Amino acid sequence: MMNKEDLIEKYFTDTLSNEERILFDKLLQNDQEFKEEFIFQKELKQSIVHQQRETIKKTLQGFEDNLNRKKVIPLKYWLAAASVVLVLSLGYFTFSKYSASQPEKLFASNFTPYENVVHPTVRNSKDESIESKAFSAYDNGSYYKAINLFNSVENKEDDYIRFYKAMSFLALSKNQEAIDLLLPLATNPEASSAKYKWHAKANWYLGLAYLNNNETDRAKSQFNVVINHPDCDYKKEEAKEIMSQIKSD
Amino acid sequence: MTEASPNIHLEALRKGDSSVLESIYRSNRASFLSFALGFGINQDDALDIYQDTIIAFRENVTSGKLTELKCAPSTYLCAIGKYKIFQLLRRQKPNALNGRVIVEETNEVLDVNLFEEEYTNRMKLIGDQLKKLGNRCREILILFYYEGYTLDEIAIKLDYSNKLVLKSQKSRCLKQLKDSILS
Repeated sequence: MMNKEDLIEKYFTDTLSNEERILFDKLLQNDQEFKEEFIFQKELKQSIVHQQRETIKKTLQGFEDNLNRKKVIPLKYWLAAASVVLVLSLGYFTFSKYSASQPEKLFASNFTPYENVVHPTVRNSKDESIESKAFSAYDNGSYYKAINLFNSVENKEDDYIRFYKAMSFLALSKNQEAIDLLLPLATNPEASSAKYKWHAKANWYLGLAYLNNNETDRAKSQFNVVINHPDCDYKKEEAKEIMSQIKSD
Repeated sequence: MTEASPNIHLEALRKGDSSVLESIYRSNRASFLSFALGFGINQDDALDIYQDTIIAFRENVTSGKLTELKCAPSTYLCAIGKYKIFQLLRRQKPNALNGRVIVEETNEVLDVNLFEEEYTNRMKLIGDQLKKLGNRCREILILFYYEGYTLDEIAIKLDYSNKLVLKSQKSRCLKQLKDSILS
């Protein structure tokens, strides 16, 4: 017969078989010592949960502080930035007919390359695969390098490689290349297929690519897909905001 | 890696990778906050709920309830967060939710995890004594009771020669803790 300690251990790892579960319940009713031991461990678990939540919350607040700290920019950079703005605005008055169109501006204020969630760059990582180098270039904003590496991986036709390659092109404002890559991911996959998880994201970025290409009507229809997407809250608010700004144009 | 996926990243999260936690925190923050502010709560509460939601999400992953993402993480976060927002609204303005349907579509993978477990004085006492235990004991107990590690996994992570050695170490830790509470 299984000993009592093992039964309690299995309870906490959620691996009791049906028979063990029956034995467990029986002991809980009839064996005072077993019951006390179990209750003790349950209370211990609750104390640990409580403490760990507080600890993790502090970690998250640390992430939050990091985000806020990055916004504080030393004075000398402000001065440098101010002089650039001055030069640019002089340029703007001289060459205003070449200035960015409204859709391009909307693109610029909404585009950030999708976070690398496939290969988080790990410091001192020993992973030297091409794919991992590609993602590390992507994380560093070296998009030309990333594209070259994405072109060299074995599985370059895989959805996620296409997607991140499209991100890299888009970051370089090479809109047509990005559009060609995103289209197959953005058009009606079966809800059960692997492509589906890229569906909302691909539509959002396809919309942005069209915006940057000044194809406003096409952009609108992509944003409509994002807004009405059945199961993702992804970028719905942002897409609505862009739609309202296009309309008010 | 043939299946592209954020699921690889879930495995890293389960193993306690904090860079993955930070990347999830950052990439979903803006969309969650705009979602939460839509319920008319203030920025501080929204941020507080976002952090609790991330913790609940992480717990769903470490406990093994959530092993595969079928949609963007933001969808799961909003689904969990929504209940936490309702919880806050019920506390702040008991009448505000009249007429609003609260229970929505059932979602098997989603454990809403509202953190409503009771926290008794005895648990607090156990917690205080737990802080006085040695690091090794604390580490074992946290991995086992919170991080969802099995004894086999803990033995590997902490370099025990086998599960039995670890098991008797864990029993000693529990006994030490119990004795300290009685004394």
